[in-house]
Amino acid sequence: MDSAELLQFAIAGLKSGSIYALVALGFSLVYGSTGIINFAQGEFFMLGGMLSVFFRDAGMPLPVAGVSAIVVTGLVGLAFERFLLRPRRDAGPLVLIIITIGGSMVIKSLARHAFGGNELSLPMFSSGASVMVAGAAVERQALWMWGLTALAVVALTVVHARTRFGRAMRACSLSHDAARLMGIDTAKVVMVSFGLAAALGALGGFVVTPLTQTSFDVGARIGLKGFAGAILGGLGNPLGAVVGGLALGLLESLSIAFISSTYKDAISLVVLLAMLFIRPQGLLGRASREKV
Amino acid sequence: MRNRRHVAAVMAVLLAVTVSLAGCGGDAGSDGEAQGGEPIRIGAVLSLSGTYSGLGTPEKQAIELEVERINDSGGIDGRPLQVVFEDDATDPAKAVAAATRLIERENVVAVIGATGTGQTMALRDECVRAQIPVVSMAGGSVVTDDFSEWVFQTPWPNRIVVPFTLEQLAERGLTRVGVISDSGGYGADGHAIIVAEAAGAGVEIVADETFNPGDTDMTAQLTKIRGAEPDAVLMWNAGKEAAIVAQNMAQLGFDVPLVGSPGNGRVEFIDGAGDAAEGFRFAAGKILVPEAYGDDVEAYDVATGFIERFTERYDKAPDIFAGHAYDAIWVVADALDRLEGDIDPVALRDAIEQTSGLVGVGGTFTYAPNDHNGLSTSELVFYRIENGTWVLDE
Repeated sequence: MDSAELLQFAIAGLKSGSIYALVALGFSLVYGSTGIINFAQGEFFMLGGMLSVFFRDAGMPLPVAGVSAIVVTGLVGLAFERFLLRPRRDAGPLVLIIITIGGSMVIKSLARHAFGGNELSLPMFSSGASVMVAGAAVERQALWMWGLTALAVVALTVVHARTRFGRAMRACSLSHDAARLMGIDTAKVVMVSFGLAAALGALGGFVVTPLTQTSFDVGARIGLKGFAGAILGGLGNPLGAVVGGLALGLLESLSIAFISSTYKDAISLVVLLAMLFIRPQGLLGRASREKV
Repeated sequence: MRNRRHVAAVMAVLLAVTVSLAGCGGDAGSDGEAQGGEPIRIGAVLSLSGTYSGLGTPEKQAIELEVERINDSGGIDGRPLQVVFEDDATDPAKAVAAATRLIERENVVAVIGATGTGQTMALRDECVRAQIPVVSMAGGSVVTDDFSEWVFQTPWPNRIVVPFTLEQLAERGLTRVGVISDSGGYGADGHAIIVAEAAGAGVEIVADETFNPGDTDMTAQLTKIRGAEPDAVLMWNAGKEAAIVAQNMAQLGFDVPLVGSPGNGRVEFIDGAGDAAEGFRFAAGKILVPEAYGDDVEAYDVATGFIERFTERYDKAPDIFAGHAYDAIWVVADALDRLEGDIDPVALRDAIEQTSGLVGVGGTFTYAPNDHNGLSTSELVFYRIENGTWVLDE
């Protein structure tokens, strides 16, 4: 295998990986502020793609349609937290997680009725042949995917590290009670983190649709991949989610390169399980004892 | 406490919504014009959502169109046909549940379906146990190779299409082939036959990769295939992933011919793959270019009549899947028509097995006690996509 070919495998892996990373980031944000896994995260990804197609068909130019889809999905995320989860927020994580599963089914069913059962497509963001890098081809849409993912990650990191709201989010992830005692509106932090998670998922759905098409039932599969990415990187750690998502994509692509495409999903799951045994906190996660 | 009641109410509403949405699948369609008799109920298990939704949707349209026509001209001995549709969401488990519902609750005398090979194989045990004949629109060889006296098949199975396709490849000098196939029912079925038949046809398999239904990027598999320097890529699947394979090849600048299966003979493939669909070749029946039937033959009239009616109703030409559904409903209707006396599933099965010389869209059907497919390579032609449409590749 020559180096151009190896690079091509890496590019393929990073392409899927950047999408896993966006979804993983959504899982991570919600986990960080609430301690629960939001199983509707994949549905936000689906909504991003479906709404972009819907808005574009309604006559909006592509960028406007994409931004509208991300904003609307973000609002759906806010509403999801406000009306489904907040009423039961004292009920314990298990109940809340089950509510997210129920919510994901409702979103999926409604999307099917609103947009139909067929696959829908978007045009590429910019046309033209693939860019050649050291003998490997990179399609233009992949550049968009990486660029927008990087932008989202950087923006989120800045918010997290530099702003008042970011500090509130970090405080919530350590202890809700302590944060509340310090005068932080924890309910608002939780709601906004759902909105942000939904918007990140929607961004993923929007940038990937030109490559893969989309339909009402794509959410569950991508949700699973994003969840695996978040676990791999360390739940609750935004940078970990990104690293985990990219690592999962690379892992799948390298399994195809060196072992077999038939077992790529199985191989990633085995690595994930091994990871949980050896380093349960994930690649970049803190061991929980540090929190004490 | 108040809060808790509130939440309970919200959850109850959500549950009701979900249940009512889930219950929407089984709408009874096609109430006939034919009067004066109790309707004859037939079940149809189709993939109206999921990976095969692009196949199941035209199938449903074709069935509705033909049932209406049968009923407008008096039904079967004055009794209208009524088809009850179920969506299996391209999920074998849901296909079983759908078949069970049709048999237990709807009292159907026959089941048309499923759309896919995996779904057909899943639901047939249920139908065999209840002794209800099944007419499948799936092209996996296993549907009729794994023989059951209750199961019939209208498409050309892989055991006919694969050798024909390999022969076409060899004729064009494309003898080093990289194979990429779907790990699901139809892809795996075709893959097994490709591996078994390639050497005999003078074709060498230099790379052999798979993908899973729902996968969104195949550049890694294609990079591996490209490394083996094949003359052509042979893809075997029937789902929407085909368009991604074609696009990924274009993106990689991997420009050897891409050859597919009858499962790719649909407009959504051309729409989804765009420019990357140009030059794509595959074997299928003659419905896509009806001139292939030849002039002055009954098959030409049957096919063009169907194409005309379908196009008028749905504003698009029927694809091969609409054709399989046309054949399935007519296999059942023709058998019902020949039945004398009471209509029961056992007599209907016998009548279907006696189908002889029924001219359909996918070919002329003659079933026998040991042949529940009845088609041969003479029904197949080789197509190429040119300027966004199908032309014969001679």
